[in-house]
Amino acid sequence: MLKLDALTYAHPGSGLTYRFDLRAYPGQVTAITGPSGSGKSTLLDLIAGFLRPTSGTMTLDSLDLVPLPPEKRPVSLLFQSETLFEHLSAERNIALGLPPRTPRAEAASRIAAALSEVGLPEVGTQRAATLSGGQKQRVALARTLLRGRPILLLDEPFSALDDETRVATRTLVRNLTQAHRWHTILVSHHADDVASMATVKYRIEAGELVEG
Amino acid sequence: MKPSLPSSEDRLILPSRPLRLFGGAATALFIAGLVVMVLWSILHAAANEPQVAQSTIDIPHLLRMTSIQAGLTTILSLVVGTALAWCLNRLTFPGRGLVVGLFAAAIVTPGLIVAFGLLSVWGRNGWINAALSPLGLSIGNPMFGLPGILFAHVILDAAFAARVLLARLDGIPTARLKTGQSLALGPVQRFAIIDWPAIRGALPGLAAIIFLIAFTSFPIVLLLGGGPANQTLEVAIYSAVRLDFDLRGAVNLALVQIGVCSAIILLASALAPVPTSLGPSGGQSWADRPAARALQWLILLVCLLAFVLPLLSVLIDGLAPGLRGILAVTGRDSFKAAIVTSLVIGLASATLCVLFALLLAMARATTARHLARIGLGAPAYAYLAVPAVVLALGFFLLVRNTGIRADTAAPYVVVIANALLSLPFAIATLGPPLEAIARGQGRLVRALGLTGWQQFALVEFPLLGRDLGVAFALAFCFSLGDLGVISLFGTQDFATLPLLMYRALGTYRSNDAAVIAALMLILALLAFIGLPRLFEKLANAQA
Repeated sequence: MLKLDALTYAHPGSGLTYRFDLRAYPGQVTAITGPSGSGKSTLLDLIAGFLRPTSGTMTLDSLDLVPLPPEKRPVSLLFQSETLFEHLSAERNIALGLPPRTPRAEAASRIAAALSEVGLPEVGTQRAATLSGGQKQRVALARTLLRGRPILLLDEPFSALDDETRVATRTLVRNLTQAHRWHTILVSHHADDVASMATVKYRIEAGELVEG
Repeated sequence: MKPSLPSSEDRLILPSRPLRLFGGAATALFIAGLVVMVLWSILHAAANEPQVAQSTIDIPHLLRMTSIQAGLTTILSLVVGTALAWCLNRLTFPGRGLVVGLFAAAIVTPGLIVAFGLLSVWGRNGWINAALSPLGLSIGNPMFGLPGILFAHVILDAAFAARVLLARLDGIPTARLKTGQSLALGPVQRFAIIDWPAIRGALPGLAAIIFLIAFTSFPIVLLLGGGPANQTLEVAIYSAVRLDFDLRGAVNLALVQIGVCSAIILLASALAPVPTSLGPSGGQSWADRPAARALQWLILLVCLLAFVLPLLSVLIDGLAPGLRGILAVTGRDSFKAAIVTSLVIGLASATLCVLFALLLAMARATTARHLARIGLGAPAYAYLAVPAVVLALGFFLLVRNTGIRADTAAPYVVVIANALLSLPFAIATLGPPLEAIARGQGRLVRALGLTGWQQFALVEFPLLGRDLGVAFALAFCFSLGDLGVISLFGTQDFATLPLLMYRALGTYRSNDAAVIAALMLILALLAFIGLPRLFEKLANAQA
């Protein structure tokens, strides 16, 4: 279980202080909602390690996350854009999720398996720039599969997608979360996304998380 | 990122401004007319000037030497500039803003001052030889000849390149950096996957600009060239006019110079544009591993020493004579006249340059028609193909052909020539924000029915304040440090600070030269720091 207890952060620019208490369970999608500027991205940055909390604790099962730098955290990220390196092929983007010096044959088979799992077995050699928005998100999910990190942070990941692709990608994320027992945290403005995916819902009010 | 081309939709967004179009067109025609007259004067002289019996000008040798020097400068500057930008992007430390600003100031540091500073540190009577002499050791004079020219060019051009590339690195989207950091990319992977794609687009255009600057370099080669073996076309033109009175030879050299520069401009115009990048730079929170950080600190310290030491030596040597010694130099009538001339010419040419740049850039931002935009942009950039000494030679011949006395025309010619030489930089500074304002706020301006003047006073000027100051400061500093134009038009009664300093060096009054160099450097830095702030304040007051 991902557990945030009295995790506080004093924003240096605005002077606002946030305080977050949260429980996220494996195999479930936890949705965070709130108006613009309420602190949703701040919360994700704290979990990912891009911001240092002022006080409080954050653990995944028994692992203390607070002292870990971003690259050591058991976290994968999915943004609305800039999720892939556009000049690299889909395969090379996914390969960045593998441990260094993975034998070539093993890497190739794992990448192919991951691409199949996200429903894109044929795009491996294509440059990321040539993929559609939905395909890019799926390739990023394939990389997440290879990384095997149990926390997935989603920051408005479906905002740039058309309705049909949006529904398909949501379903894929939900299924992958259940299959791989990820702790998925979804930040979204869209009520549809939250309603169709979330098991647990929080909203941010006056700098604090309120369940329900 | 390449600016998007104006679309047909822009014609609906942009308010109709016939007066702006007329002002821009008139300015473009005026500049084009001057270019044509200068070229005509040079071509006319090429056909009619008598050949000097024993002309010593060896054009193939000069072309080869100039190309080798410019080519090496370009490669070295890009390598050092990339390394420096990499370090500045990664390292955060107290005073980082000052260090970034210092490298940004390279663009306005007169070449004459850098060359003089290098001699003060590395020359026969420089700091290093003075420190070694008690041990009976000497490094000789390594700054004369090609090594000195390259060193001086790389100091200035690598700092310029670093500032441009740093802006590219600063512009990498945060989400991409977060993805890379979360993927635990190592320093090499990070450079190859994230940094290189961000900077490689700027390198060809940057290479063309640096090659052009080095190819047309005048004061550095004049001071550090160390003889005819390392002469460049620019210096050879100056020597032919002022020392050998070989006007036909100078004209032939000028034609070669124009030909090569035009070819580079054509090549560069096909490449991505390089905007002037003088805004603030934010540091990054994602630090590389300790070994990479140690390398970054080492590179930064070496670059800082190489850049700061010559400038520091100029200040120390210039201020060393004390107040009495400084007053002895500044109290002379020749100095008083030169500083007044420099300031008047600097302010006048900067005003003219910014006026031209505003008229052209505002007209360009007003229209979405492709041909009109090319027509409004081309005359300004044509001047990049005509370097300072060639431009001065053209004006020199033009004035002579019209029968006007050279000393009567000199102040006007120097002001106009300096304004035109700074124009491409001023347009590169003012053009993009004016285009962005027109496209971003055009609908609102149109919907509110604002007049052209209201648009300028209420929308453009408040938003442009700092950029106007940067353009003004660049033009002022370029003019302040110019030796190319004044070297052909200067007389005993009409001299600027660089010419006075060069004359002092020629007559072995190095203490006088040091004082003048220090004052010029202080003046340039004050203008570079102060003018953008002053304009920003004026603009904020307007807003």
